[in-house]
Amino acid sequence: MNNAPELGRPDNRLLAALPRETLASFGQDLKQVSLSQGTVCYEAGDRIDRVYFPISGMISLFVAGRNGEIVETGIIGREGAAGLQSALGERRSYNRVTIQIPGHFAVISAGHFEQAVSNSAPLRDLVLRYVETRWAEAQQIAACNAIHSGSPRLCRWLLQAADRTGSDHVPLTQEYLANMLGVRRTTVTLLAQELQERGAIRYSRGRITLLDRKMLEASSCDCYEAIKHENLSLRIGVKI
Amino acid sequence: MSMYYFHLSNDQKVPDVDGTDLSDRSAARAHAFGVARELMFRSKGMLDHDWSQWRMLVHDDGGNELFSFPLADFDTGNGK
Repeated sequence: MNNAPELGRPDNRLLAALPRETLASFGQDLKQVSLSQGTVCYEAGDRIDRVYFPISGMISLFVAGRNGEIVETGIIGREGAAGLQSALGERRSYNRVTIQIPGHFAVISAGHFEQAVSNSAPLRDLVLRYVETRWAEAQQIAACNAIHSGSPRLCRWLLQAADRTGSDHVPLTQEYLANMLGVRRTTVTLLAQELQERGAIRYSRGRITLLDRKMLEASSCDCYEAIKHENLSLRIGVKI
Repeated sequence: MSMYYFHLSNDQKVPDVDGTDLSDRSAARAHAFGVARELMFRSKGMLDHDWSQWRMLVHDDGGNELFSFPLADFDTGNGK
């Protein structure tokens, strides 16, 4: 990934959708930074102090249970942003939000972003449309987790992660995938190993490479197609 | 603690390449049943992922089979 200059056309769908003058109005307040895995964007309950637009990495949202168990409830890559709701006024994060795949992120302080939004009708409109799309996505994921078995969900998730980072190499630990699926690590190993036997992925500790997207798409639940933001947008009549 | 391996087999094999460190054989049994339940959860009737014809073979660190069982034992009636 090259180090894009501050204000080219960033490879983030939301930033790319903005009118050029709105993007220019961010000036030096919008910075491109490189963030490592495990960086905490917000703990649950934290005030949202910055907005993160992924360019090459991936952000995960987690809900923690009473006994410390954590389950992933969403991922955000270059199709979206974390903390966008702070544009509508001071907000606190519902989830724990962390950098899961390291990479480049465009970051702006929530204060600057709120100010920019109050001066730009197109920007405010974009924020509202994105929040609507994420709401639809959260409902589809809730249904997916309730009715689909581990393997189709793993396929759905791998395709989604590859789309949202723009890379077929998905560098994630088994612990993470186990939390993501809500299963034991051994179950993740077996599901991934079975996909490898079929030639769909290459799997080694901490790294999965997608080899055959067509096979993964055929093995995924319908939720993969449903959750693609261009499909969600179409379905609910929201254009980004 | 020792390493236990939870392989799957029907006419093909899916090896547990990583293994799990567990206290004893009864912990390995509990782990195996937990994994079986997770694999079988809503998988029956799925085209690619129906595990009900598979067996789980539990091996120790030396590659000796300790016990095995059919995953169909953990058929939860498709979760209903």
